[in-house]
Amino acid sequence: MLSLTHVTKVFGSVIGVNDVTVELGAGAHGLLGPNGAGKTTLLGLITGQLRPTMGQVRVFGEHPFANPRVLRRIGFCPAADLLERRATPREWVRYLVQLSGFRRDAAAERADRELDRVGLGEAMDRPLSTLSKGMRQRAKLAGAMAHAPDLLVLDEPFDGLDPVARHDLVGLVRRWAVSADTAEVPRTLIVASHLLHEVEALHAGLAVILGGRLVASGTAGEIRDMVDAMPSEIRIRCDTPRRLAELVCSTDGAEGFRFEGDDLLVVATRQPRALAERIASVAVEERLAIEEVAAGDRSLEGIFGRLVRLHRGVGS
Amino acid sequence: MTATDAIHADASFRTAVLSPTLAVMSFQLGRLLSRQRLLLAGLGVLFPAAVMLAVRRTVAEGLDRDLAVTMIYALVPEAVCMLGLLVTMCPAVADELERGTWIHIAVRPGGRRALLVGTYLAAVIWTSAVAILAACLAVLVARVPRPLPLIGILAVLVVLSTLGRAALFALPAVILPKRALVASVAVALVVEYLAGFIPAVINQATVSLRLRSLLVEWMGWRQKLPVEMQMLIDPQPAWVHIVAVFGLAAVLLVVAVKILDFRQFPPSVEL
Repeated sequence: MLSLTHVTKVFGSVIGVNDVTVELGAGAHGLLGPNGAGKTTLLGLITGQLRPTMGQVRVFGEHPFANPRVLRRIGFCPAADLLERRATPREWVRYLVQLSGFRRDAAAERADRELDRVGLGEAMDRPLSTLSKGMRQRAKLAGAMAHAPDLLVLDEPFDGLDPVARHDLVGLVRRWAVSADTAEVPRTLIVASHLLHEVEALHAGLAVILGGRLVASGTAGEIRDMVDAMPSEIRIRCDTPRRLAELVCSTDGAEGFRFEGDDLLVVATRQPRALAERIASVAVEERLAIEEVAAGDRSLEGIFGRLVRLHRGVGS
Repeated sequence: MTATDAIHADASFRTAVLSPTLAVMSFQLGRLLSRQRLLLAGLGVLFPAAVMLAVRRTVAEGLDRDLAVTMIYALVPEAVCMLGLLVTMCPAVADELERGTWIHIAVRPGGRRALLVGTYLAAVIWTSAVAILAACLAVLVARVPRPLPLIGILAVLVVLSTLGRAALFALPAVILPKRALVASVAVALVVEYLAGFIPAVINQATVSLRLRSLLVEWMGWRQKLPVEMQMLIDPQPAWVHIVAVFGLAAVLLVVAVKILDFRQFPPSVEL
């Protein structure tokens, strides 16, 4: 359904996407990466807004850039907030459906139905400027889905929403994804997010992007296993880091040592708990002054960093 | 049958081109109904009449008809139309980028083309309506004898002016969307008011030459014009000028559409 082959996109001196090769079939897929990772650029290439500088993008077997045959089958909900404030959700969604090739009456019918489905039935005649961000987000989603696309691409669809709105919209997108599995024509959902749990909630396959590169892909479980299989780091700040390294180097699980400055020891390990206990006991026995022991970064950014190192063959 | 099938089955000119273009046109006209734009339109309608009133009051023996017509021509099909189009046509792409609506439109089949042509039509309708009202009011205020035929002539000139110049302004709108206003003023000055007054082949490609020539032709001024002024008009029949304006507009629009087809705007969110 969708394939990218060695795709690179450069904006002047900035690399948006760097040598990405991926194939996505029908079903739900999550594109995960921190802000600035290149997700929006990648989605821009998939949805035909951007042309690759190098490589090839194929959607439904064709180049998507400004290609009406492909664009007719794509629904896209961008990350940027909708600043069209004077129009009502009904006018806005009807307008978008008409731009997808539907006649005015058919577009009006579809817009009303979709707005009802996303929970904006009551507010569809209020100007967008009077709606909350969550409601505008729903209007954007309705605009992306109202023409019944075969490929639905959502860029940070839950960003900035309160927990209730987030829960509702995750449910809405999940229902679309489930119906995509059973649709007559195979359909694909791509959701870009910087929050792992949002993508996990959609039961989607994952592709992780960082610095414009695709650094991992698979199910959430596979990616977590991959991350867990990598050594994590323990950072110990003390006055005698080299002495401490000598004392713990024979400990099971200590796989590598690095010194940063005069007072910082970084130990790579797959058994952080055992190592931390060993460090504590050595410090007591040898009367070493330890100022700080910190575990490696377990945040998503940290996991991304480790994936990048894995991708580059460091620490694997 | 899915929606996609339904569209494929009915990929007629109407659904593929006409419906999206008319949708953009009506959406843009809706945007032009804001209080701010209506105020601007009101100023556009009143401004030529105010000038004519001031001039009429300073001329005790009454305004010469030819002079009044020349002034109204300069004020309405030239000034009001230019200013109206600067407000409505120049921001065709920049407005969408600012409002975050460009992405929504660029991912629709034919959305880019519909945006440009629909905005063009909305700009022509809006500016023509304002300018024709302005012409009517100015003619009435100036107390020009036999006003109805004059209003007819001015209305045709207004429509030709907006058709041609909106297409001219479409180019800066797609090439330099964020500097479209400045670029359009430069284009207006260089193309319409510099090249348009050079008595050489270059002025054949300007709207101002066609409008001046039509005004002279329809007002029956050709014989009255001094020789040096005759160089500033083209003595061809009126239909040639009308066809030339339509042709020029069509060529400029096609070029603008082609350029917009290839435009890419980097996702600033990420860069």
